Amino acid sequence: MAKKIMVVDDDKEITSYLTQLFKDNGYETVEANDGSEAHDIVAKEKPDLITLDLEMPNEWGPRFYRKLTQNPELKKIPIIVISGLPSNQYAIQKAVASLTKPFDRDELMKIVKQTIG
Amino acid sequence: MKKKILLATTGSPASFGAARVAFEMARRYDAELLLFHVAGVPKKGFSYQEVSDVRSQEAVSVDEDYMAWVEEELKTTYAKQLEDCNNFRILLATGLPHREILRVARGEDVDMIIMGAHSGDSSAVYSKGYPGSTLQRVAKAAKCPVMTVHRESASYMGGFSHIVFATDFSKQSESAFKYALSMAKEFDCEMTLFHALDITSKVLAQSDIEDKLISLRKRLRDVYGPKMGDFKNFEVDVWEGNPYVEIVKIARERMADLIVLAHNTRELDPEQASMGSTLEQVILRANCPVVSVNRPDKV
Repeated sequence: MAKKIMVVDDDKEITSYLTQLFKDNGYETVEANDGSEAHDIVAKEKPDLITLDLEMPNEWGPRFYRKLTQNPELKKIPIIVISGLPSNQYAIQKAVASLTKPFDRDELMKIVKQTIG
Repeated sequence: MKKKILLATTGSPASFGAARVAFEMARRYDAELLLFHVAGVPKKGFSYQEVSDVRSQEAVSVDEDYMAWVEEELKTTYAKQLEDCNNFRILLATGLPHREILRVARGEDVDMIIMGAHSGDSSAVYSKGYPGSTLQRVAKAAKCPVMTVHRESASYMGGFSHIVFATDFSKQSESAFKYALSMAKEFDCEMTLFHALDITSKVLAQSDIEDKLISLRKRLRDVYGPKMGDFKNFEVDVWEGNPYVEIVKIARERMADLIVLAHNTRELDPEQASMGSTLEQVILRANCPVVSVNRPDKV
């Protein structure tokens, strides 16, 4: 069964680009356009990995991650931070990686494959 | 929520983190934002002023054109944030920065001052070890809480959900506690009441340390528990180590988005209390905004 990746970003172009990239590489995908929307989706879909933006209109990435870690069923889902903010590697320090936009697709896919196969 | 926020900014990258938090707070909590900039220190007073320009350091005569240019520069710097900000004013002044910040804070009766730890000197001394003199002086004299956002990464909050209140049980910590509790109630946050047992330069048996931790946890519950009222979403914790390191660590561990602590806990007179070394180091190292409170006003 294909592994599932959840893309959380308020930029529609980024979500559609990432979704297509993951689908082309054989993964299932789900999307959320904001951290608050992502809470419901993550509980329902239980993805194997999440790519997370930091700055979003309602619920920011770090706050979403904080709530995620309070749920024992979800707290071990690996996170890849993809953000344009400077110093983004410090925002979610337990993330498996932090990439800065514009990111290298090959580097991202390498991290995804290393993390969930 | 705090209704009037003063963002004291140099417009340089050193204050971008503070600006991000100030704009985000104003938007999220429907507060008025005063964007305040001191354009330079006058060389001549009264009828004719000449200031050293903040960016170029050149002597410039202050007239309407110059101030309009400075305002335009600020609008350009924060163009993206200003688009989403409905309630703001840009205020400019010339003079000594700390004095002007305090003057505006007093005149406008602001509820909070937000600023970076220093003006943007990129020397390692400032970025690693010491807050700038403007922050020192503002924090010492301000009647309202002063929020400092030193690092870019400290600005990734997007609203408050967990507040760490660090105390050494001093009298000054009482105002900080009241402020932390009112914030936690207002924003429905979790709150951690924290004390760091200072074991630096001491050699203690492990059981001694653990006995102290147990008794200090009890002291935290005894001192602050009865003051929590109907607010139940809190925990107490005591860690041993170097106090500022432990405060930064527990904030990171709990993914706190705000640290509240007293400004100086040894000096009883707030007029005399310069910023304490623990607060200085927490400000420079924390991964979230830090609020210093020393006075009962505005809490």
